[in-house]
Order: sequence, then C-alpha cells, then structure tokens
Amino acid sequence: MTISENLFENLRLELRRGCLTLAVLAQLRQERYGYTLRKALAERGLEIDESTLYPLLRRLEAQGLLASEWREEEKRNKRFYRLSGDGEQIFDQLVKEWQAINASINSIL
Amino acid sequence: MELLDRYLQAVKKHLPWKRQDDIIAELRANLEAQLDEKEAALGRPLTNDEAMAWLKQLGSPIQMAAPYLTQQYLIGPAIFPTYRYVLQLACVWTVVINLIVSAVKIAAEDITSPAAWFEALQHVPFTLLLTAAWVTLIFVVIEYAVTHSKTKWILPAAPSAGWSPSELPPLEERGVAGQKPRSYSKAVAEVIFGFLFLAWWLLVPQHPYLLVGPGAPYLLALPYTFAPVYMQFFWWVVALNAVQLAWNGVDLLSGSWQRSHPVKHLATKVFGLIPLVLLLAAPDHALMILKHPALDQARYGGTLAQINKGLYQAAWVVFAIVALQLVWEIVKMSIDFYRKRMAAMG
Repeated sequence: MTISENLFENLRLELRRGCLTLAVLAQLRQERYGYTLRKALAERGLEIDESTLYPLLRRLEAQGLLASEWREEEKRNKRFYRLSGDGEQIFDQLVKEWQAINASINSIL
Repeated sequence: MELLDRYLQAVKKHLPWKRQDDIIAELRANLEAQLDEKEAALGRPLTNDEAMAWLKQLGSPIQMAAPYLTQQYLIGPAIFPTYRYVLQLACVWTVVINLIVSAVKIAAEDITSPAAWFEALQHVPFTLLLTAAWVTLIFVVIEYAVTHSKTKWILPAAPSAGWSPSELPPLEERGVAGQKPRSYSKAVAEVIFGFLFLAWWLLVPQHPYLLVGPGAPYLLALPYTFAPVYMQFFWWVVALNAVQLAWNGVDLLSGSWQRSHPVKHLATKVFGLIPLVLLLAAPDHALMILKHPALDQARYGGTLAQINKGLYQAAWVVFAIVALQLVWEIVKMSIDFYRKRMAAMG
C-alpha cells in the first residue's frame, strides 16, 4: 500500500467510525444478534468486519446505549441486542446532529 | 468444525480473562451462524481450504481479539505533558549536577589529564537513563493511582473549566532586532556549555595544561609571569560567566528561555568590556612581569617590553571588536525600537 493509499484508508476509517455507531444504533431499534445485524447492515451497503462490529456492540452496551440478553434461537444460544432507554434518547439526538452535519457538508461540497 | 474451534481457542488467549468466556460464546454463535449460512448456500460442508480462506478473511486471532481490549496507557494523555516537562527538567539537572560533581572531584584529586575528564563524564549517559527510568516509573504509579482511584483527581495538565483568557502569558516578543526566539535545545546547550566553560576557567590557574596544553612546563620555566592585573581580569570573567549562567538557568527553569532580554543582552556586552578595560589600564601596559626583576632585568627586560607591547595591542584589537559589536547591537535595537514605535502609531 502506497503512502497516499494508506493515508486515504486512515481518513476513510476515521470518517466511517462515527457513522458506524449511528447505523448500528439505528438497526438496533429492532432486536438482533451480532450476525443478523451484520447482514442487515451489509444489505444496506454498509459492510463491517466482524472484528469491528462485535467489539463495538460490547462498547455501546458498556456505555449504556444497548441492552442485551442471552436467548436460545435455532438450538443455539445467542446474545441479542436492542436500544436501551438511554440509547433511544441519545440516538434521537445523534440523528438530529447527523442531519445537520449532512446538510452542512452537502452545502459545502 | 475443528478449525473454527482452534481459531476461537487462539482468540481466547488474547482476551481479558474476566470476559473471555462470554466473548468467545458470543463470537462462536455469530461465526457458527455465518458458517451455517455459507454451507446452506453451497449445499455441503466447507472444504478445509474454503474454511481456511474464510478464517483468514476474519483476520488473525490477535486482530480479532485486539478491539475487545480496553485502551491502556502506562502514562495517559492527561498527565503526559507534565511527565514530558518533568523529564526534561530532570535530565537537564542530572547533566548539570553530574558535571559539577565531576569537576569538584577532579579538582579535589588534582587530576589534570583529559582521560580523567573522559572517565568522569562517561557515566553521564547511564545516569541520564536511570533518571529517565525513575521519572517514568513515578509517573506510571501516578497514572495507575489516578485511573484506579475513585476520587476525582485534578491534574495540572487537565483542561480546567475555570481558566481565564486574561491569565494567559503575554505575547513573547521577538528577539533583538527581529531575531528568531531561542529554541529550548539552544537554551539547554547554553547552560551546559556555560557551566563547562566556567569549570574549565576556574581550573586553569591550578592546571595551566588546560589552557596551553603540553606547553605548560615551558611556561613555568620562563622568567616571565602574569602581572597582578590578570587576577582581577580572571575574577571578572568568573563573575560575568557565573551571572550569565545563573540567568540562563533561571530562564530555563521558569520556561522563559524564548523571551528576549534586550537589557541582559546589552548588559552582557557592556560588562564584557570591563575585563578588557582592566588589561588596557594596567600600569605601564605591563601585562607580564619578570619573576625575578633584580636578576633578569638586564637580560630579559627588552624581550619583556616587546611581549607587553604585543599583548597590549592584542587587547586593544579585542576591545575594539567587542566595542564595535556593542555599537552594532545598539544601532540594531534602536532601529527595531523605532520601527515598532512607528508601527504602533500606525
């Protein structure tokens, strides 16, 4: 990877980081476990590596934005996540912030 | 699938032990669901090569485990600026104290060879490393205490909500006549070399070898010696350098080494002329005298007069150079002052 490619990759990851959190929170308004969440995001064009998504779920839960529970589904124990009460409030705020930023960036670009 | 079990086992070894079982159970559920879907799409189990390609795509066990680890610092960003500042100070003072101790030791033991200096100084790098290690260790302990304590600590480097813009230090003026501000390394070098020069100068009377090298024994054998005015000259140089060294040291410690001190700059030049004036004002321009005038006047008197004439002229040349430098500095400062004043008046 050349220096400019490397620089682009770093900037791209930096740009995606905040968006991923918002996308994950949006998808978890409906309860899902890790793999189905990953598929749902991919179907909407947002591919996320396993090593990024699964730890992110843990962090968001530790921050109180998500709630989780182990439950059996198709003879397998799976950890299901959904937005917590606090998560819903913060998600609404983040959506407004995202829309404002998006409008500004669009007008700037 | 055995390969998946081996993969998860390898991931587990890199996870925090308190949460590793929970994380591995979740990862297993997610990866097995993914595997089931792949196999359902193919209508058969994955071959060994396909399984290896899939696991390779997931990333190495370390890559998979790393994002689960919380970020850990030996010295975190909150106290790092303080750590760096203390480390710099400790290193500077370690070098200074080491040099003082070495100089005193060498003077006390009456050692004159350059090898003794080298021996005395060769342990400085090790002492520096030791100092850095101790400072680092202390800050690691502070970081640990701060991050593991339930008490909220107010760190000196932490951004404070109570700061006021009016408390900001005044703008640092540019140096004399628009020169760039001194760098930190230059300020440190000035202190170190100022000290080295002073130590060397103080040792010269007892050890002329340091000044004239191998010619010292010949100097002692000559019928001439330095006139008493040289002692006044010697102590003036000591005093000037000691004051300058102390001033530079205070600047460094107070963090104001960048600021220009026009008064200090001029004072150094003006007082630097005094030792030269002392030499020029010596009675009969006698900078060297005979050790035994009654015995040697007839034989060496003429040569002594020639030597004194040469030394006196040399002192004049040096005085003229330093005086011209001083005049030049005053002119530059005056022009700079005039420009600033005109700029202020708009």
